[in-house]
Amino acid sequence: MKSLKLEFLKLKKKTRSWLGPILVFWLIMIAYPLTVELLPENLEVGFFSVLWIATLISMMLATEDIFLEDFNDGTLEQTIIKTTSFSSLVSTKVFIYWVLIGIPISILSFIFSFGTTENFDTSLMIFPLSIISSYIFLNLFVLGNALSLNKGSVLGALVTIPLALPVLVVLGKGVVAIQFNINFSGFIFLLLGCLSIIIVAVPLVVSYIIKAHLE
Amino acid sequence: MIKKFIHQFASPKTYLFQVNKLYSYILYSSIFIYALSITWGLLFVPEDFVQGNSFRIIYLHVPASFLSQSLYAAMAIASVTYLVWRVKLAAYLIIAIAPIGAMVTFIALSSGSIWGIPTWGTWWQWDARITSTLILFIMYLGLISLHNSFSNYEKADKLLSWLVIVGFVNIPIIKKSVDWWSTLHQSASITLTNKPSIDPSMLYPLIGSTIGFFGLIICLVIISSKVQIIKRENTKSWIKDYV
Repeated sequence: MKSLKLEFLKLKKKTRSWLGPILVFWLIMIAYPLTVELLPENLEVGFFSVLWIATLISMMLATEDIFLEDFNDGTLEQTIIKTTSFSSLVSTKVFIYWVLIGIPISILSFIFSFGTTENFDTSLMIFPLSIISSYIFLNLFVLGNALSLNKGSVLGALVTIPLALPVLVVLGKGVVAIQFNINFSGFIFLLLGCLSIIIVAVPLVVSYIIKAHLE
Repeated sequence: MIKKFIHQFASPKTYLFQVNKLYSYILYSSIFIYALSITWGLLFVPEDFVQGNSFRIIYLHVPASFLSQSLYAAMAIASVTYLVWRVKLAAYLIIAIAPIGAMVTFIALSSGSIWGIPTWGTWWQWDARITSTLILFIMYLGLISLHNSFSNYEKADKLLSWLVIVGFVNIPIIKKSVDWWSTLHQSASITLTNKPSIDPSMLYPLIGSTIGFFGLIICLVIISSKVQIIKRENTKSWIKDYV
């Protein structure tokens, strides 16, 4: 609980780190209608694809410096020396990032979806997809950033985006399931299944990777 | 005895001298098998009823596709071996395999693309199998760039091993993509459990070409791993004698 509060305060203080990705998401979603003719049916065609790509990019930006400050000021070394589990620290960090960035983006996804499709039920179903996928993306990009800790975020993104692509495929299929009203819950369970594995495996792997960096 | 053999073989020095003995046997037998199978497949196998002569690219496409996934699986095994038992040779093998894996995946993608024109009427389709293989190709490139971005080899090896293990999740996705999604790409013609759906006259040269191609790629891996060993063990006295 103490580390949860600490991580929350640390991220809250770094306004650029949590507000930046949300604003980028917002700007992408606002820029999208400008690139197509302003007919509602034209907007709807590519809307969900843009939504998922915007979520992906925002999550990528969100994790850009997730460990960098702690790495530079020696906090990571101190944490490893201490007996507390390092993987739980990673889980806490990811959770806080999701609360401050992932959830607001999911709420924005719902709002933009409703604004574009004018269909409340569809938009309501987009919300759980967005909330789960943002958590998955955060975990994946945290892995990428751990790998490229002091080598810049481009390398991390390069090695992690291929892992995120299957999630995009599932999201695309989830939207089709919503539109045709077929087994939507199956996709939610599939994403939850992926998340349950990722949520356990990624902090563990990240803790080993960071230890390798500090050795 | 097996454990002793593995430990002996895991030494870069023993590996280097042992593979030197095997190399020419593997190379010449693979060239012979591949040349024989390709000649058989291109000249003597009858034309396909639907696809005509274009199906003959199968003797390059299938071995390359099979190897693209097998090489990644080999890298994953080597990664586990390196992280668990700290076998240096395993780390050398991972980075030796990665560029060859990328090359083989590129061959699989490009031969599939060439085959797509007469069969599907398109060079490219965002189909699950093709897209997941493209992801594998990008993964290979990512692995190479990750390793190259660190000057400390030991750290690079560890990070690379972790990424290989995490990226292994893509292999079952590629394998099962034709079953999980409705794809343009056909499902597997040869499986371990069912009788092959491909005619025996086409099957035997395909098996031969796969074995031959596999041998040739093993030779490339041997060359690449020798380069890695020479590069990384250059301070050892035995390497000076070897070079």
